[in-house]
Amino acid sequence: MNLRKKLRKVNFSHTASKTLEILEETSLQEKEQSQLLNNVMENIQVLKNIYTDCSDIIFRQFLIGHQTEAVLLYIEGMSNIEEIDKSILEPLMKHEAVNLSDIQTILEEKLAVSKVTQVSTFQDIVQQVSFGNPVILIDSQVKGIAAGLAKFEKRAIEEPMAESVVRGPRDGFIETMSVNTSLLRRKIKSPKLKMRSLTIGRYSKTNVMIVYIEGLCEQSLIDEVNSRLSRIDIDGILESGYIEGFIEDNPYSPFPQLLNTERPDIAASALLEGRVVILIDETPFALIAPITLYSLFQSAEDYYQRFIIGTLIRWLRYGFLLIALLLPSAYVAILTFHQEMVPTTLLLSVAKSREDVPFPAIVEAFIMEITFEALREAGIRLPKQVGSAVSIVGALVIGQAAVSAGLVSAPMVMVVAITGIASFAIPRYNAAISFRMLRFPIMVFAGTLGLLGIMLGLLLIIIHLATLRSFGVPYLSPMAPMEGVEMKDVLIRAPWWSLKTRPRLTGYNNQFRQSNNQKPGPNKGSE
Amino acid sequence: MIERGKISSLQMAIMMNPTILATILLLVPAITAKNAKQDLWISPIWASSIGFLCVFIAYQLNRLYPKETIIEYSEIILGKIFGKCLGAFYVIYYFHMTGIIVREYGEFVSGTFLNRTPLVAIIGAMMIVSAYAVNGGLEVIGRCSEIIVPVVSLLYIVICILLLKDLDFNNLFPIMENGLLPSFKGSIVPQSWFSEFILVSFLFPYLADRNKGMKWGMISVISVLVLIIITNLTTLFLFGNLTANLTYPVITAARYISIADFLEHLESIIIALWVAGTFVKITVFFYILVLGTAQLLKLSDFRPIILPMGFLVIIFGIWSAPNLQELSHFLGTTAAFYFLTVQVGIPIVLLIIAFIKEKLQKKKGSTTG
Repeated sequence: MNLRKKLRKVNFSHTASKTLEILEETSLQEKEQSQLLNNVMENIQVLKNIYTDCSDIIFRQFLIGHQTEAVLLYIEGMSNIEEIDKSILEPLMKHEAVNLSDIQTILEEKLAVSKVTQVSTFQDIVQQVSFGNPVILIDSQVKGIAAGLAKFEKRAIEEPMAESVVRGPRDGFIETMSVNTSLLRRKIKSPKLKMRSLTIGRYSKTNVMIVYIEGLCEQSLIDEVNSRLSRIDIDGILESGYIEGFIEDNPYSPFPQLLNTERPDIAASALLEGRVVILIDETPFALIAPITLYSLFQSAEDYYQRFIIGTLIRWLRYGFLLIALLLPSAYVAILTFHQEMVPTTLLLSVAKSREDVPFPAIVEAFIMEITFEALREAGIRLPKQVGSAVSIVGALVIGQAAVSAGLVSAPMVMVVAITGIASFAIPRYNAAISFRMLRFPIMVFAGTLGLLGIMLGLLLIIIHLATLRSFGVPYLSPMAPMEGVEMKDVLIRAPWWSLKTRPRLTGYNNQFRQSNNQKPGPNKGSE
Repeated sequence: MIERGKISSLQMAIMMNPTILATILLLVPAITAKNAKQDLWISPIWASSIGFLCVFIAYQLNRLYPKETIIEYSEIILGKIFGKCLGAFYVIYYFHMTGIIVREYGEFVSGTFLNRTPLVAIIGAMMIVSAYAVNGGLEVIGRCSEIIVPVVSLLYIVICILLLKDLDFNNLFPIMENGLLPSFKGSIVPQSWFSEFILVSFLFPYLADRNKGMKWGMISVISVLVLIIITNLTTLFLFGNLTANLTYPVITAARYISIADFLEHLESIIIALWVAGTFVKITVFFYILVLGTAQLLKLSDFRPIILPMGFLVIIFGIWSAPNLQELSHFLGTTAAFYFLTVQVGIPIVLLIIAFIKEKLQKKKGSTTG
């Protein structure tokens, strides 16, 4: 039942206690959705009722021009108190004019705050207050004023730890949405850069932004992202991982189907390719959709270094990807099934070092690889002081003691080490980890069927990748389905002046990203 | 339609390449060499004409019935009862065919590679992988082959290049010592392999760009032809007239590779690569078997019958021959006529009947209208 109607019913006995009774009957939700009343005391009652036991909400009652009752409410620690005192309380309390007919006068003449919003429902007030904007309610007004004086502690902009570059911008997203949007806006200044806001989370009310460039991004993609995001109904969103889990295409796949990044330049380049960036408040990680497998092996720096270097580094990564995935299983398969492939001298030295080892190669490999994974995980989670102890113990135990005790062979240690290094050469942590985990089942295949097993394992992975889609874009494109021209950014990193078109599957609307014939040369411009 | 995915004609061409090539590389050079001697590289050229013919027939039939596969339009052409019979025959034929391919694969792997692993385990492992791909549908098979085939073909050519220093080019001569006849005779068995190109009649209805289907089908035949000629020439240059006595000439050739005393005994790598190619072949055949069965029985989806049919294929594989010698003998003698009849003869008859029917209908239309 509408709160207003109920209150009107009890109009004859206009006591606060009666009002309260009715207020208690109505649910919190109804209260929030109802309009403001024109008595400030009643409004305060309703708000205090909503904010029962919230000791961090400050209600400051005061008089405007010595006679009109008013109240200011805000959350401690989320608003700029000095500014509130100086720009709101001081001018209003010293207000001399008696006639306060409407809010407009106050807004125009007295409030020295640049960003103000008028609020008319309790829901609006709650929202504004939780953003940190102080709200002023004035007696006999059915509207309140929210002043944009939110100010809370935030982290400084730093270089992202996980995605550092040698050459490239050093800024990174932080936990505050307004800073993140401004970082993107500074990179792409066109008004075509659109940011659609959504609120997700029953309790957390997290602000989520869909960012795209109008005219580059296909409307169907934006709609799809929007509809997938608005389907989410959860109590709270604490990190982009929550959102990723809700909107990806295949939840059972080990591969990430959205890219997460802390770097505004990566987000901006995705926007320019016609992709959608999803910014989430309270986390420095932005999500990018759609992606392909190859975007997991690209680093921002590929585009900043010379293109030949970029191409070579890309190939190095593809090579290391195969090593990270296959080296231990290839070692196991060759030692167990195909000894003839190893050149004799090498085979002899391997055999000599394996002489004392009591385990078959597959068991040895499993022991070592699992130990390595455990060490890696321990190194991340532990505090720094303990972390170094773990690495020392790990290095000593694995590198030295295990070999001299005859539990594992020295070549196996090398294989594990190379695999580890190779997996760290993949620039995306979540991609690296999924490939690292996949090497265990392949090791089982290798231990049972040799190279044939490895091949079958690889085929299974390829089939799985071929079935995957990220927001409708085939995961393996442009390799499969094959798009010859698109190889310019996958097999190689073509020089900038030849990267003329956007990726066809995301940037089909507006294909050309630069004008023709920009290849530099000595005679250019003097013709 | 049962299959909702669409593939491009390029994907079709890439898929068809290992579908012909994967098993022809194993036994056929030796079988061809028995008849053609040093002219074994000419035989595939004659044989490829069957490939072109098959693509042409499939294309003509597809022009008449653009949305149906051979199982479906045989019912339209021959009437309900005969059409169903023919469809059932084709399904059983593809059961046999897939079984033979799976057996070839199993025999080869267990013969050269995993001597003590039971055949069922080798075949079963492959069928599981294959079933997973078929479950993904035609699009997934197309994409998988786009990843696999270029890599495999490239590495295959690299291996042929690594053999260069062992090749004796004089083995080529005398060319056509006894005229064209030996190479013709040698081409009969490769012909039966090229006749597998009639499979495109199952793929044409699902092409996104059907007008290019003919062109890419032909290109696919040419690509197969080129790779076979390279293979035959390599084995010929390496072994000369010995080729006919080897079971798997290509694998024996791979054993010859020795670069810098380090790159040696690459046959395991070759087998692993070949397995990837065979995977495409088995998957395409298995897919067509499953799709054809679903169309014959008018099922709404082919996915539920993948696993039971996979088991049947394994059994067909075990039954198809008592041992490798029998299998090789069958493939080298009677099988050629069997394959050619089913894969070329019947489609030609179908096409002729369809044409006559169309002509009659047109006449009827012109007389009544």
